[in-house]
Amino acid sequence: MDQFRRIQTGKKGDVFMVLFKDKKILDDTVLDEIRGELAQFLGKASGPDVLLDFSGVEFMSSAMLGLLGQLHRKVSGGQGRLKMCGIRPEIFQVFKLTNLDKLFSIHKDAPTALATFT
Amino acid sequence: MAGESPASPVWPAHAGVDVLIAEDSRMQGKILQKRLTDAGHTVRWAENGALALEMARERRPEIIVSDIEMPVATGYDFCKAVKTDPALRSIPFILLSTLSDPIDIIRGLDAGADNYVTKPYEPDYLLGRMEALLATPIADEDTGSAATLEVTLAGQAFKVKAGRQQVLNLLVSTFENAVAKNQELVVANQELSVARDGLQKTNAELTSLNAEISRINAHMVRDLEAAAKVQRSLLPADDVAIPTLDVAWKYVPCQSLAGDFLNIFPLDDERVGLFVVDVSGHGVPSSLMAVTVSRFLTPKVSDSSLLVRQAPDGRVLVARPAEVATQLNRLFQADEFSGLYFTMLYGVLHVPSGRLEYVSGGHPALVRVPAAGGPPEFHGAEGFPIAFVPDVEYEHKTLDLRPGDRIYLYSDGVPEAMDAAQEPYGEDKMAACIDDSRGEPLAASVTALLTAVEQWCRPNGPLDDVTILGVEWKP
Repeated sequence: MDQFRRIQTGKKGDVFMVLFKDKKILDDTVLDEIRGELAQFLGKASGPDVLLDFSGVEFMSSAMLGLLGQLHRKVSGGQGRLKMCGIRPEIFQVFKLTNLDKLFSIHKDAPTALATFT
Repeated sequence: MAGESPASPVWPAHAGVDVLIAEDSRMQGKILQKRLTDAGHTVRWAENGALALEMARERRPEIIVSDIEMPVATGYDFCKAVKTDPALRSIPFILLSTLSDPIDIIRGLDAGADNYVTKPYEPDYLLGRMEALLATPIADEDTGSAATLEVTLAGQAFKVKAGRQQVLNLLVSTFENAVAKNQELVVANQELSVARDGLQKTNAELTSLNAEISRINAHMVRDLEAAAKVQRSLLPADDVAIPTLDVAWKYVPCQSLAGDFLNIFPLDDERVGLFVVDVSGHGVPSSLMAVTVSRFLTPKVSDSSLLVRQAPDGRVLVARPAEVATQLNRLFQADEFSGLYFTMLYGVLHVPSGRLEYVSGGHPALVRVPAAGGPPEFHGAEGFPIAFVPDVEYEHKTLDLRPGDRIYLYSDGVPEAMDAAQEPYGEDKMAACIDDSRGEPLAASVTALLTAVEQWCRPNGPLDDVTILGVEWKP
């Protein structure tokens, strides 16, 4: 089932779960691959519920935020919900600097986040 | 039809010969067995000389082909046993040898071998040899009656008992081997020369491809330099002079093209516009977006300017910062493909009063250093990055400057600059650095901050664009 190089995927009920495999998401080519794999995983689902798990990510570029913005627009455009979890303080700082901690629904870990989908 | 068949045996004269092979290598044995079977012969195969001798005694083969290096009994032992057995000695015996040493010939003679074929060999060559041997039957003479020959080789004397025909056969086969090897060398040489010609051609193609790459590269470097020049035109004029304001700025792109840019310019007689913009990412896509954004952030009245427009009565109207951010966000929503967005801090300073109105699109807070004393203060405004969330209304905040106050705008390349241990420089150190240089001229304090960031990032240097804009209000 797990055919992706950059993300580990799973489904819990109707929630599409994504765990990022890379420690550093800085390179543009890595970003493009993540973008492609996410699109493939979510497929044609309109407004899916999505949980992104960042617990393996130590560094992330500002361009990754752009990808999250795209995903946010796609998900919320179809009445789905986008939630994130496992965000380290260093990465949370990136969200905070750009005020995006107020846009995204951020939770401590996957079980906590999953509980909020019901 | 049989005559036209390409699979017809090469040597039809002695098809169906009973052959015995002695070969310890399974692979070589199999290949030889298959080739001989394909040629129509009956083949038995033994894995060493002792087994082969048993087989030969069990049923007398018409010809024997034997390897030399084998366990239990070598090819020489096997050969000697055959040639001293009255019932077997007239069977033609071919030794497969690497012939790496002339002594091998002596040993072969001594063992009574009829023919040598050097390894590695072409199967057709071996078949030809077999045919030749079978065509001249060996006289059944007793080796005991053969003359004893004395041969000196490498200072060593050998006494060899061999029949005349055997000696002749072996000599001829040795010579033929040499001729065959020579032909192989000639062919190999020809192949080498063809390969060399091919290499020369490939080399020429590579050289021309290399030249093409250099040409394209030079072209790209030229384009990049031109683009970098366009980017520099987005920066404040060298002689930016605004009464009662001191201005200093630093801009260090981490690649030839940056996503950061900044500017400060008069909007009308009383107001000055200032901003730092940071487009996500680096390189060509980000810099193209930076150039596009800059067209909307111009103080010249035009169709594209979001900062100023002309009222019907001819007066210049200055847009309020929140309006500028909201409009930009609306304009750049279309960028679904690249996922690019930008952060921006845009302010309008009313010079006579020192009142600054500013808006933030996800940009780090500005720093004010109060002339009256007290630590540097961070003043942020809430707002998402531009082109991130559709249809949001931005709100601006107000900061009233006191005479002598300084403000610093910067990109996240300052607080987020990483040291070798991936520790960010941080707002605290940044504030401390600005505080330390408050007694120095504005330009010196901006330079001090840039130097501090660069030192923090040693030895690798900043991985992000670093942009700093300092303004001091001294009415």
